[in-house]
Amino acid sequence: MVNSLDLQASFEATLEGLGLSPGAAHLLWLPLPMVLVLVAAVVGVLVNVWLERKISAAVQQRIGPEYAGALGILQPMADGLKLLFKEDIIPARADGLLFTLGPVLVLVPVILSWLVVPFGQTMLISNVGIGIFLWIALSSIQPIGLLMSGYASNNKYSLLGGLRAAAQSISYEIPLALAVLAIVMMSNSLSTVDIVNQQTGAGILSWNIWRQPVGFVIFWICALAECERLPFDLPEAEEELVAGYQTEYAGMKFALFYLGSYINLVLSALLVSVLYLGGWSFPIPVEWLAGWLGQPLDAAPVQVITASLGIVMTVLKAYLLVFFAILLRWTVPRVRIDQLLDLGWKFLLPIALVNLLVTAGLKLAFPGVFGG
Amino acid sequence: MFGFLKQVGDYTRDAVSAAQYLGQGLSVTFDHLRRRPVTVQYPYEKLIPSERYRGRIHYEFDKCIACEVCVRVCPINLPVVDWVMNKATKKKELRNYSIDFGVCIFCGNCVEYCPTNCLSMTEEYELAAFDRHSLNYDNVALGRLPTSVTTDPSVVPLRELAYLPKGEMDPHGVDPSRPRAGQLPEQVLETLPKTPAASQAAGTTKGAADA
Repeated sequence: MVNSLDLQASFEATLEGLGLSPGAAHLLWLPLPMVLVLVAAVVGVLVNVWLERKISAAVQQRIGPEYAGALGILQPMADGLKLLFKEDIIPARADGLLFTLGPVLVLVPVILSWLVVPFGQTMLISNVGIGIFLWIALSSIQPIGLLMSGYASNNKYSLLGGLRAAAQSISYEIPLALAVLAIVMMSNSLSTVDIVNQQTGAGILSWNIWRQPVGFVIFWICALAECERLPFDLPEAEEELVAGYQTEYAGMKFALFYLGSYINLVLSALLVSVLYLGGWSFPIPVEWLAGWLGQPLDAAPVQVITASLGIVMTVLKAYLLVFFAILLRWTVPRVRIDQLLDLGWKFLLPIALVNLLVTAGLKLAFPGVFGG
Repeated sequence: MFGFLKQVGDYTRDAVSAAQYLGQGLSVTFDHLRRRPVTVQYPYEKLIPSERYRGRIHYEFDKCIACEVCVRVCPINLPVVDWVMNKATKKKELRNYSIDFGVCIFCGNCVEYCPTNCLSMTEEYELAAFDRHSLNYDNVALGRLPTSVTTDPSVVPLRELAYLPKGEMDPHGVDPSRPRAGQLPEQVLETLPKTPAASQAAGTTKGAADA
């Protein structure tokens, strides 16, 4: 394994050099990656909103936001500020506690899932052993929040939207988990870092997308459905349900939903890039590049460069997928609820099962290629 | 067994064709990304209305003979012609004339039938007001000329698509001296062979255009 940049070790070593105990140094280190990832997630959402509006405009031959900052880059900030200053309304007949708890329950698991998103060998908050399974488990808390806010709003549209959201999340969770299971089987680990490491070696050729093309498609479709992105945005289908479970929400509580859906999109894109597109790895392995340039991998500048390259690659892959999701939004019409459930249960679920079985068979037959 | 295999085959074919359609759709939207918008930034840029644009009506009080033809040809008898009979001179004396543009449908019938040409249509279309009653224009308001888009220093005038040179789609940055695509009727007539009848016809058309 390549000895890569370990910020935590060097940070703690520096603090211990200043005379702090190892425990205190660790305690000082702990909040840093958390805050950093939180900021990264929020900035990612701002970029995402801006991209969404600009790409939507370009697809429709409009200009899009233009006056707030250069190329309208401050527009999402302005939107956020507006929501921040808006009156926080709780409808008179609504259940105040559940109404407030709903958006929180939607947002918190999504942000918590960033725990396992790796941007490099050591560039993640925590390399927990259950890794990707943690994300699947956390993402099934979300429908409870959606159902809660739909029920507490005391509004038929909200209730229908909440029910739809719950039905959709539950039915797409299964093929999603099966697609992930095939990957996990190949890499013999649930940890996201191990999954990426298993995809290094031959650069772009060793990425999981070549070994799991079907799994990739299933995962991406399910991820879009989990994020309630078009063509699966039935829970908030404005033509039928006003805004679904968000109907009664305003101000910061609405902003939490908004933030949650976009963080979820970025997160899903990041996880697709981690699971199928080799995470932080460059299309040509950095080890080869360093070898050709005659640079030792242990040298500090080389490590900084490879670490930054890893972050750039992860984000780039994720945003390519986000771009694809936005383009898809203006390409395909919304599916009906029966079509949605048909697709989930009658198409994706059997295909995901077959995919899992075939992967298991291939793993037994070709342990070298499919991770013995 | 074969029934099942056939089902699987049909299913696969359906899935593949669905994927193909999806790809087609994506290529259409992706292609639109490189087409530039032709947005006219409205308050700062405005399109030049065409010659026969039917905007707010202009009225010349001194030309009016109070015949009320405009009222009769109006679909809703909208113009209010306020006149009294001067017994001494035995002539109509016009006091006021008004049209309510909150009700007018800009059909242009009054302009068409006015015997003294005291009514005409302008290119003014920005009639927004805080009170609908202020859209009821009297003869003074009707006599005002609108600001032309081409002479307003705070507005960039842009030509409409039909008035652009051949091949141009975007009105931005097109040289105003470049002529529009195609030929005007008098230009077509000039190219026709000169027979006495044709030249006479050309003369009359030209005269009509001048009038």
